[in-house]
Amino acid sequence: MLLDIIVIVLRETLEASILIAVLLSVSQNQGIKFSWVPITLLAGLIGGIVYGRSLGVISDWFDYAGQEVFSAGLQLSAYVLICMLIPLQWQQAPSCKGLMRFLMSVIVFTALIREGGELYIFYSGFLQKEEIILRALTSGFVGLSVGLSVGALVYYALVVRELSKANAIHAVVLTLVAAGMVVQATQLLTQVDWISSGEPLWDSNWLISESSVIGQVSYAIFGYEATPSFAEVSAYGLSIIGVIVVILSVFQYRNRH
Amino acid sequence: MACWRSWIVAGLLLTSNLALADKPVFNLVIRDHLFYPSELVVPAGEKIKLLIVNEDATPEEFESYELNREKVILGGKKVVIFIGPLKAGEYPFFGEFNMATAQGKIIAK
Repeated sequence: MLLDIIVIVLRETLEASILIAVLLSVSQNQGIKFSWVPITLLAGLIGGIVYGRSLGVISDWFDYAGQEVFSAGLQLSAYVLICMLIPLQWQQAPSCKGLMRFLMSVIVFTALIREGGELYIFYSGFLQKEEIILRALTSGFVGLSVGLSVGALVYYALVVRELSKANAIHAVVLTLVAAGMVVQATQLLTQVDWISSGEPLWDSNWLISESSVIGQVSYAIFGYEATPSFAEVSAYGLSIIGVIVVILSVFQYRNRH
Repeated sequence: MACWRSWIVAGLLLTSNLALADKPVFNLVIRDHLFYPSELVVPAGEKIKLLIVNEDATPEEFESYELNREKVILGGKKVVIFIGPLKAGEYPFFGEFNMATAQGKIIAK
């Protein structure tokens, strides 16, 4: 029971924690103060609770596809925002820093709505069981701490790089994270039959099991799927191409002007 | 012009996909943190619609790594999940919020 709760909270925390760590690293390397973080965390927490409380209504939308459509919408929005964020790293204008701060806030906000909402629902099940609520909260705190520790590791792994290489490294990591979000959105829309699916293209569970720790972390970082469908593989490839096209377009525009 | 035609064709394909949502329906019930039936036999090579009703007062999350599916089901609510087409075989699933008891598998034949 205790271990189950730790694992659940860890899984929900891990994805948001890694995303926040990458964006904090970007913020640090860009000389953007972390003042955007506390207010975003608070807003995300409130957003998660509102989402969790509204999930009953949202789930019934679109003939019971609402949960997936809403969540996929958040993931795809985050992808678009990350596409906008990546090329801004190479811009020096102060107005660009302000825009980056705004984009990072909204990206974190969308992640916290999804993960926070699920945690709120999970814990709402314990509200009727007073005898174990304290144990559930303590276990959850352990899971949260482990999730945040992984985030801290990611942050320090990224932030200590030399500044000249930092932008390129962040661009690669953010691209993989963003592509992972698109894969998750594709999977959600497949789940409600808005996107057609066939049989999986391959099964790499023998290499990295999806339920293993590495599988879970890989899923959190770049949307690893051991048995991906054609739609998921295509979405992954196209979203990476999308980021590259945006970066090249911005550089081309800058060179012309 | 060709670009517009592509969008219209893509739109029609999506619409027809939605309209043809007459897949075979299979029911699962969550009661006392258990799945009923715990083993569900479905046809292989065919997409199916899974209707899951949570009769418990507490929420549950249907999850399966093998099926690539994950969905929260609030207490007293029902949800729909499409799965497949599956190769013949067994596909375990579980209730993430009550993993000790909520276990089951889909058997594609």
